[in-house]
Amino acid sequence: MGSKLNQEGIMLFEQPFARVPYESYRKIFRTSQKNVERDLGGAQTTANDLVSRGPSGSLSPDEAVKSIDNMIGKVENLKRKLADLHETAGKPNQDVMRERLHHLATVETLQNTSQSEFSRWADIRLDRWLVDWCLRTGKEKSARSIAKEKGIETLVDIDLFSDIRRIEDALSRHSCVEALAWCSENKTALRKIKSTLEFDLRMQEYIELSRVRKTLEAISYSKKYLIAWHDTHIAQIRQLSALLAFPPNTACGPYKRLYDASRWKTLAKSFRLAIYNLNTLSSEPLLHLALYAGLSALKLPACFDHATKNVDCPVCDGESGAGSEPLGLGKLAKEVPYSHHANSTIVCRISGKIMDGDNMPMAFPNGQVYSTEALEDMASRNGGIVTCPRTNESCSFSALTKVFIS
Amino acid sequence: MDPLLKELTKLEKLTAGNGKGPSIAHSLDSLLLSLQAAKKAFLAGNCTEDDLRRLAQVVEAKKKEVDERQKEVYNVLSRFGKALDKKFPSPLPSYSDLFSSAPSVAALERTVALHLLRTGQFDVAETFLQESNVKIPGDLRIQFVELHQILKALRNQDIAPAIVWAKAHQEFLRSRNSPLEFYLHRSQYIRLLLSSHPPNPLPAISYANTNLRPFYKDHEVEFRRLMACVAFLPLSRLQTSIYKDLALPTLHFDLEPLFAKEYCASLGMSRQVPLRVVGDIGGGGALARIEKGRKVLGDRKGEWSQIDELPIEIPLPSENRYHSIFACLVSKEQSTDANPPMMMTCGHVISKDSLQKLNKSGGRSKCPYCPVETAVGSAKRLYL
Ligand SMILES: [Zn+2]
Ligand SMILES: [Zn+2]
Repeated sequence: MGSKLNQEGIMLFEQPFARVPYESYRKIFRTSQKNVERDLGGAQTTANDLVSRGPSGSLSPDEAVKSIDNMIGKVENLKRKLADLHETAGKPNQDVMRERLHHLATVETLQNTSQSEFSRWADIRLDRWLVDWCLRTGKEKSARSIAKEKGIETLVDIDLFSDIRRIEDALSRHSCVEALAWCSENKTALRKIKSTLEFDLRMQEYIELSRVRKTLEAISYSKKYLIAWHDTHIAQIRQLSALLAFPPNTACGPYKRLYDASRWKTLAKSFRLAIYNLNTLSSEPLLHLALYAGLSALKLPACFDHATKNVDCPVCDGESGAGSEPLGLGKLAKEVPYSHHANSTIVCRISGKIMDGDNMPMAFPNGQVYSTEALEDMASRNGGIVTCPRTNESCSFSALTKVFIS
Repeated sequence: MDPLLKELTKLEKLTAGNGKGPSIAHSLDSLLLSLQAAKKAFLAGNCTEDDLRRLAQVVEAKKKEVDERQKEVYNVLSRFGKALDKKFPSPLPSYSDLFSSAPSVAALERTVALHLLRTGQFDVAETFLQESNVKIPGDLRIQFVELHQILKALRNQDIAPAIVWAKAHQEFLRSRNSPLEFYLHRSQYIRLLLSSHPPNPLPAISYANTNLRPFYKDHEVEFRRLMACVAFLPLSRLQTSIYKDLALPTLHFDLEPLFAKEYCASLGMSRQVPLRVVGDIGGGGALARIEKGRKVLGDRKGEWSQIDELPIEIPLPSENRYHSIFACLVSKEQSTDANPPMMMTCGHVISKDSLQKLNKSGGRSKCPYCPVETAVGSAKRLYL
């Protein structure tokens, strides 16, 4: 029973799981860097200022004390902020990193899918996928409920997704402010992946100014925010300048498109892609990817033929029963390719066991095939008579013929 | 995971102030002391230019200390990042628009809702049903509640509700040759047998007379063992006897999965949790293999999503083989309704097309595996 664990195949899914808390820790670290630069850097400037003013005699003791108080304030402030940051964000984040690495380390020590530890691990993995899927499809309460019920809050990214949701909600209210703030927090990383999200957002704010005919504001906005993109987006910037000559109800193609409200949807989509990309999140829910691969590994023409359906097969979609269209996994399976098999495998329709040299297939006179084990068992309980469960044909065990399938 | 855990430990030490050099808090404290001292000197009116210069030097030195600590954190973080890159060399693939059509969304929501109910997560299921558009018939929901009530009773060593259900579904269970009812009584019998101190087997034997005997015909061997083991009480002796398997806790624990399997089968549902089965296969190597195949075969944009059959084989554990597959070794083709497997008189099987190709003028085909010839019309179509 069971099979050897394919560690590489398992780990393929786990990059975001390990990376999200790391990226979030890096953000916390950058905040601490900023604080150090501002407060200690500020104190340093003040100290140097004192030194330079000292000899000229322009420094009164009062002023000097005030400056020193100011430095003390900055250093105390920094000390408190760094301690707070570590307590409320840094440390909890490190704990999440540790728990996730331990979770992955657990599966690394396992060898076989039949181990009960693996079953427990895979249960949690499925719960994590369900939470991820719920979060990506707007079912936040369900996501929280699963996470709480299973005690896996540290193993899922509820905070990240509620952040995504907050910014997307703002975009759907036609506000770029939140998304722009996110862009500035992640400037370096966005530059690295050559994202133009910030430009697209700036462009939208400019369009909105033009929409309400605030021409002067639009021009100064352009000077302030768009010119910086001159080297890479010259054509767009030129088009935007011309936009001011067109009212929002223009029929002129390119300008009509700029005013189109669908641009907000596109913005939300590019934002989502950018934040997924920065956290190495897949663009599809992990559950989708697992189902795609799992269903296509299982899918066979036999799954869609009433005569050959097997209630235990997930693709056969037992729930729908005979005669009706599949409603669940069988329906999803229509979107994936069939599995490919180069060799014969004969599965006993009575016992579900795979037949081989030790448990040979045997055929009824009407050609129905079952395993020797299952038929022997049936014969021993029925005085040597066997009955085909599919056709109800009965015969004596001795009337069966051995089948050789290579 | 070891290289990552190692870097994480370093990070934790550094940020908790257990690093090699002075901690940031320590540096800031010492800077505060210097500032306070300078302030005091000014207030006392005895502060020289040299003092000011020294103060500026202290500020600079302390900032440098802090920067050095921060630099160390930065270095650990980038080593951690490199270790992540090494551990996870390939990104997850993208299959755009997968399962995004309205019917697919509905199918997946339905699958998840049934999964939550089947695994007994009723509160979560309630929330989920509110947040999604899926409707699950009330009677189906009630059945899952019943299933979990019975499982809970079994966990509490109460077989009564399970027996009631088994009696009501006797016909169904018999058609599946299910040992469920017998095993339920067996568990109760063993429990009775081992519950008296000193051993008094009479209540257990009387239980067996009423409840186990009706199964004598179907479970003759086991029935005899159950009665014979009485001679090996108490428990400590039983555990070293040839009946030690009857003393194992699994004899009771295994009732839960067995019951769930039969219950689900009565609803036309699979023995394993389907979402787990598919997820374990997909997340246990199938996706990795598909991706490898995609790279090797060179997926030109979009072509892969159009294919009808995977060009590579994904190995499946035997418990996940649900259908027979016949691949003819002569033609290398998988059988279909039009080209079914045919058994020749010698018992060897090839596809119908191959059989016809082997047909010699005399109306006989020679088996490719043995010397026997089969007359046209005497090969038999097999149903696997
Ligand atoms: Zn199937
Ligand atoms: Zn032959």
